[in-house]
Order: sequence, then C-alpha cells, then structure tokens
Amino acid sequence: MIKARRPVMAGSVGPMIIVAVIALALYWPLMLWVNAGAAQRSLNSGADLGCATAIACATQLRNPVLPAPAQLGSSLRTMSLPPMAPTSVPYNTLVTAGETIVGLLIASVLGIGLAVGLVGSRAFERVTLPWLIASQTVPVIALAPMLAVVLGQYGVQGWLPKALIAAYIAFFPVAVGVAAGLRSPDPMQEDLLITYRASGWQTFWKLRLPASLPFLFTSLKVAATAALIGSIVAEISTISFSGLGKMLAENSRASDTLALWVIMLYGAGLGIALVAVLGLIERLVTPWRAGQSR
Amino acid sequence: MAQPAVHLKDLNMVFRGAQGDTVALQDANLDIQQGEFISLIGPSGCGKTTLLRLMADLITPTGGELLIGGKSPAQARQERAYGYVFQSPALLEWRTVLNNVLLPLDVMNTPKATRQARAHEMLKLVGLEGFAGRYPWQLSGGMQQRVSIARALAFDPSLLLMDEPFGALDEITREHLNGELLRLWQETGKTVVFVTHGISEAVFLSTRVVVMTSRPGKIEGVVDIDLPYPRNVETRESPRFFELATKVRELLRQGHGFDADD
Amino acid sequence: MASRTVALDRGRSGGLPGLGWLAFALGAGLLLAAVWNVWSFPLDGVPPACKALSLGLIVLGLGTGIYGLAALARRMTGVIPALLAAVLALITVEGLLRAYGVPPGLIPTPTRVVTALYNSRTVLLGDARVTFVQEALLGYIAGVAAGILVALAAVRFPFLERGALPYAGLFASIPIVALAPVIVKAFGLEWPSKAIIVGITVFFPVVVNVVRGLQSANPLLLDLMQTYAVTPAASFRLVRVPSALPFLFNALKIGSTLALIGAIVGEFFGTTGQGLGFRIQIEAGRFNLDIVWAAIVIASVLGIAFYGVISWLEARFTGWHASRRQPR
Repeated sequence: MIKARRPVMAGSVGPMIIVAVIALALYWPLMLWVNAGAAQRSLNSGADLGCATAIACATQLRNPVLPAPAQLGSSLRTMSLPPMAPTSVPYNTLVTAGETIVGLLIASVLGIGLAVGLVGSRAFERVTLPWLIASQTVPVIALAPMLAVVLGQYGVQGWLPKALIAAYIAFFPVAVGVAAGLRSPDPMQEDLLITYRASGWQTFWKLRLPASLPFLFTSLKVAATAALIGSIVAEISTISFSGLGKMLAENSRASDTLALWVIMLYGAGLGIALVAVLGLIERLVTPWRAGQSR
Repeated sequence: MAQPAVHLKDLNMVFRGAQGDTVALQDANLDIQQGEFISLIGPSGCGKTTLLRLMADLITPTGGELLIGGKSPAQARQERAYGYVFQSPALLEWRTVLNNVLLPLDVMNTPKATRQARAHEMLKLVGLEGFAGRYPWQLSGGMQQRVSIARALAFDPSLLLMDEPFGALDEITREHLNGELLRLWQETGKTVVFVTHGISEAVFLSTRVVVMTSRPGKIEGVVDIDLPYPRNVETRESPRFFELATKVRELLRQGHGFDADD
Repeated sequence: MASRTVALDRGRSGGLPGLGWLAFALGAGLLLAAVWNVWSFPLDGVPPACKALSLGLIVLGLGTGIYGLAALARRMTGVIPALLAAVLALITVEGLLRAYGVPPGLIPTPTRVVTALYNSRTVLLGDARVTFVQEALLGYIAGVAAGILVALAAVRFPFLERGALPYAGLFASIPIVALAPVIVKAFGLEWPSKAIIVGITVFFPVVVNVVRGLQSANPLLLDLMQTYAVTPAASFRLVRVPSALPFLFNALKIGSTLALIGAIVGEFFGTTGQGLGFRIQIEAGRFNLDIVWAAIVIASVLGIAFYGVISWLEARFTGWHASRRQPR
C-alpha cells in the first residue's frame, strides 16, 4: 500500500498564497516595532525627523531597520526607472546576469572536461578528486578578491574577470556532479553496449553523456547561485562601473538602506530567475525525466 | 470448544475513491480455529491482503463482524495478539539483525533480562544465529525474510499474519523456507493466516486453503488439505497433492473467465 | 560489476611500485634543485642562464614526477596520491614564480605564504576565532536548530508543508551577498549580524532535507509500528527519525561549507575590524597577497576540518546507510 508521492507543487498554490499573506500581515507590526525604537532614539537625541511621535516616524525613516512597504515601493520605482539608465537597478542586474551566464558557460565546459578526465582515468581521479572534494569544503569565495587583484594586474578588465571568477567558483560543483552522472549508468546497461560491440566513444555518446545530463542540471542549479555570488563579490572587489555588486558596495558605503533593499530584491529575483531558466532548459533537454525531477 | 482464533461474519470492506467505490471484500464468512494454518489464495485484487490488514486493524471494515480470539481487532492489536510479516522484509536498516528481532521486545517493554536470550533463541529457530551482528543489507533476500519471521515470533503472539512473505523469492529458496515455516508452525503450535498466490505453496503448507476471487473480492470456496504429516519433498510429488492442487485451481477458475494461475 | 573488473585489470598493469616511488622522488628532487638554483637572486635579477636551467629542471622534474605519480596512483587509494600531487604542484609553483621573478604583490610563492602564516599567526588566529567560532559556528548551530524545528512543524502540519516549504526551495537560490548588506545594516557591525547571515543560509537546506527525510520512512515500517500498538511518538522516534538521519547529515554537510562562505561574505560588508573575510579584503587592497593567501589557507583548513567532523559524525550515526556500502 505504498502511496504515490504527490508532486511538491501540486495543491500548494492556495496555502502558499495564505502563507505569503500571513507573512506580510506580520511584517507590518514588526516593521513598526523595530523602526519605532530607532526613531525614538533619534528623537531623543534631538534630531528633527519631520514628524512628532516615534510611531508616526516609523514609516518614513531615511534609514529604516525594516522599510515600510510604501517606502520600499517608491524606492523600487525611482531606482527602476528608466530601466536602461546606467544608474538604474534593472540595467545593473542585466550586467551581472550576463557575467554570471558567461561564467556558467565557461564553468560547464571546464567542469565537463574535468569530469571526463576523472571518469576516464582512475589514476587521474585518485590524484585530483580529494582536492576537488576538499575545494568544495573550502570557502572559495575568499579567493575572489585576490583573483580580482591578480587578473586586474594582468590587464584583464571589464566584465571578463567577473565572469572568470564566477566560472572559477561554479566549476567544481559541475565537475563533481557530471563525474557522478557519467558513472551513473547501470552495469547492465554498460554490458548491453558491450554486447553490441560499441566503441568507447559510442558508449560515451549514447549512454554516459545522456545519463549525466540530469546530474549536470542538478549541479548547474547549485552552481548558478554560486556563480552569481562570485560575480557580485568580484564586482565589489574590483574596479567596476556597473553591476549589482558595484551598487551594493556604493550604497553600503553610503548607508542607503532603502537602496540596499531594492538591490537585494533584484538580486534575489535574478537568483530565482537563473535557477528557473535552468529548470526550463532541463525540461527541454531531458524530456524523458518530465514529472520525475523534483 | 475454545474461541476461534479468527471469526468473520458478513465482513465488508469498501474503499471510497474519486472514480467511485471499490468493493475490496464482500460478505466474507470464515472461522479459523486455534492452531490452524490457513492460506488465502487468489489473483491480484481479490482482497486477500485487505482481509489480512483488516485482521491486523491496519484498516477498519465498513461492515460485518470481525473477531480476533473473541476480541475486536483494535483490542487484539492493543494486546499485541498477533505478529505481522510483510511482503518485503521491512527490516529497520539502521538496526543489526539482532536488534531488529529485539525491536518488538523493546517497544513492548518485556523484561530486559530475558530479551537478549529470547532474540537469540528466535534467530536460532530460523537458522540465523551466526548473523546476529550483521546489518540487513549484508543478508540475502531469503535471509532477510527469515529475520522478519523471527521478529514476528519474538514476542510469542498466538496468531501469525503473513502477507506473501516469500513472494519475492526464487522457487528454490521459497520451497526451502516453506519447509522451515511448516516446521516452525508444528513446533510452536501457532495459528497462521498466510496470503499467497502460489497454489503449490498453499497446498503444501495449509490445513485449509481459502480461495478468493476478485471484482468484487470474495471467498469462493475452502479446500481442506488432508495431506499427512510430516510433509516433505515426497508430499509435493504425491498424487493426493496434485488432486488438491487441481481442486484449488478449479475453484480459482470458477470465479474467473481467465486462467488465474498467473 | 563490469566497471570493478576493468579497474582491477588496470591496477594490475601498473608496474612496480618501487619504480613509481623512484621516479617521483627523482622528479621532486629535480624540482627542488630548480628552486634552489634561483633561490638567492633578487626578484628582477635572475640571470637568463640560471632561469633557463631552472625552467629545464622544472620541465624535466615535473615530467618525471608525474610519471612516477601516475604509476603510484594506479595502485594506491586514499589521500596519499593527492598529497603527493600537492607536493609536486607546490614546488613547481615556487620554482616558476622565482625563475620568472614574479613580484609577491602579484602572486606570493608558497614559502612566502608559509612565512606570512607564521609571522601573522596571532592576528590570523584572532580573525579565525571571530569568523569561525562566533560567526560561522554559532550561526550554524542556530540555523540547524531552527531548521529542524520548522521541519518538524512542517511534517506535523501539512498546511505548512504545502504553503511554506516551496518558499524554502526558492530562498535557497537567493545569493547571500545580496542579503548580507541589508542584514549587516539592520543588526550592526558586530559578529551577531554575520551569525544571522550564516543562520539564514544554513536554515533552508536543513528544512528542505529534514522534511524530505522524515517523509522517506518506509510505509511498511510505519504499519509494523502500528501492529505493535506503540504510541505515535515512539513510532516517530523508532522509524521516522532514523530514516531522516542520512538526509539531515547531507544538509549538515552542505551547511558546513555555506556557513564559512556566509561568514566571510558577510564580513565584506562591514566588521569591527576582525575576521578572515575582513582580513582578506583589506590586505588584498593593500597588495599584501601573502597574508591574503595565509588567511585563505586558514579558512580552507577550518572548512575541511568542519566538513571532516560532520562526515565523521555521519559515519558514526548512519554507518548502516546505503551510501556507505560501496567498498570505496
């Protein structure tokens, strides 16, 4: 009597909306409470906030702890318009997205190549795999500021160093994932191809590579978030003229909380969008797994 | 005469579903005496597993009367009156073989002093005393199923409910375990209700074979198995064995338009 | 089965182990000679002849060393081949950087990094304490605890599972760098703001994995518990909790790497002047790359040790699990 597991999303939309509404309803009093404290402190110190009481000020602080929805809305509007101006957030989001995508492409090529090497030679695997695993436990992000400096001194500038750093951070998960995928075929499937007297290449193209595709996408989804973090950190640590990281660094220095919130929302949206796009490509490339994947 | 081990009268079980109701069991009547070995046989969907799960109080009947040793199934379950053996061994993979057999003794708070001895005794009974420290995955399918039988016997229930316990095993292992089970049954004197879809298995093991048919699931007939004991390899080759097997097969066909042997 | 046979065949053709060791030692010796040859020259004063000799020695040594290593790696398992590879790589890098006279402001040689590690050990250990113990570890523990509690609630109340769990998956794909400045602004420059960032990053994988783990319990085992007439709490403890353990440990391992990343990234947006992330950023800006590398080495060692401890606990508590059955 094993019940079929229902897909995660089915029947979730209603509850998801309710949970979102509850979260928003809880946000309002929480926001008033934390901001009122900050406002009270400012008023006590004699600052002129342009409002009489702490509660009245809570929704219009210049640097709120949590922004009021109206404040956030107006900041979102002013920072998003016109969308393609060099100082607007959508434009900078696209810049970061471009770097991340190029980084992911480089990471895929490198990662797949490395994975083929890992699967092809036991000796190569024994020499490198422990380092690959160790490197996943290392906070690779710590390398980003230094890589940025080194690349900058060799004259690699603009969007390329960011893409390279994104690739550097993203290619380990891809390599490990694809290597696991290339090994995933059943021994019986391998034996089947041996009975066909298939060549090594044929086995690779017809069996191992298709079998590794789902693994590639699972690891690309992990890698996408990592690559995005990489390109944003790279933008912070190098001389940049555009990108979410540059805006984060600027507004962090200027302590513009509202701007930071807007940039965070765009960054979150970009992260979710990248994973969603990968999910879409996954469906197109591995149609036989439709409905199976999480 | 003592209470029957299992008593059912006009028992009904209807599953309600989106595509209409399914009658899994219709007006089933049966009395199982203490110490009997009863096989429930029939094609897939005839309600034999449903009947077993009803006896085990894993589901509740929609109508009729069902008594286990004179009590309601819920009460019997609370009193831990029966042991249940599933289609798959259903061992807890994080416990060793010994700890799997100890599991019911642990949860039922039997005296600590005797638990270990009892579990070892049960493992000896199923011929696995040398494997106490192994993990389930280190055992073959047949051995795992023997552990699960030892587990069901560990707390000494008077009734054993077995749901196709040997269904996933190969013929050779199955015949071997059939012999073992028969020996266990004779040594312990327990009542056994045994679900199967193997005709020769049912005939070889049972005192009576209950033949069930599907859509709706109901009891088609009961065949008394009068094969002499001890039953062994020769039993399987005796003319009487074939007669009884034929009788069961014919009953299965009666309830069906098709050959129910599969 | 097939792949295992192939591997065995390959192992047999690996040649003598003595020969491998010999070639490896010879290669390492040649590389060391190459380093020694250019050791005493100032950065831009390496005579062309010495440089050429060192480069030649490096090519020769690397070739011999890799040949020996390949022979060794065919018959040895475990971490030894990987460690030997690191030895070769480090000496090679040292030799190349010195032969070409690369300024340490660009890429410091391994020996310089070790020296910096030793000279700045007090500062770096203080940074490591802030980053690892206060920020990463405390945040990790809080995030894991909160994650387990929420997962238990989600399994208990199906409404939460359907309404809140999809968000957890969504939140996992948000880059922490975007979140970090907002949290640092809201909670201040002290270490708690970084611990909160760590907690948030660890929280989501724990929730998702623990819920999946608790639901992975075999339904037959739950039926078995019912036939024993045990209380729901006992059934939960005996069946669901052990079933969830492998999933929990998977999340704990993911979390252990996320925790350090979260702490370091958080420090990029403001600290009170201590922490490995702070040190890396500030010293990279001053071109003190030997200290940057030293900090990275410490962060890496901490990361690997953290991961190792969790893996050890995993082996201890879920040694029975299917993923441990492979002989490798």
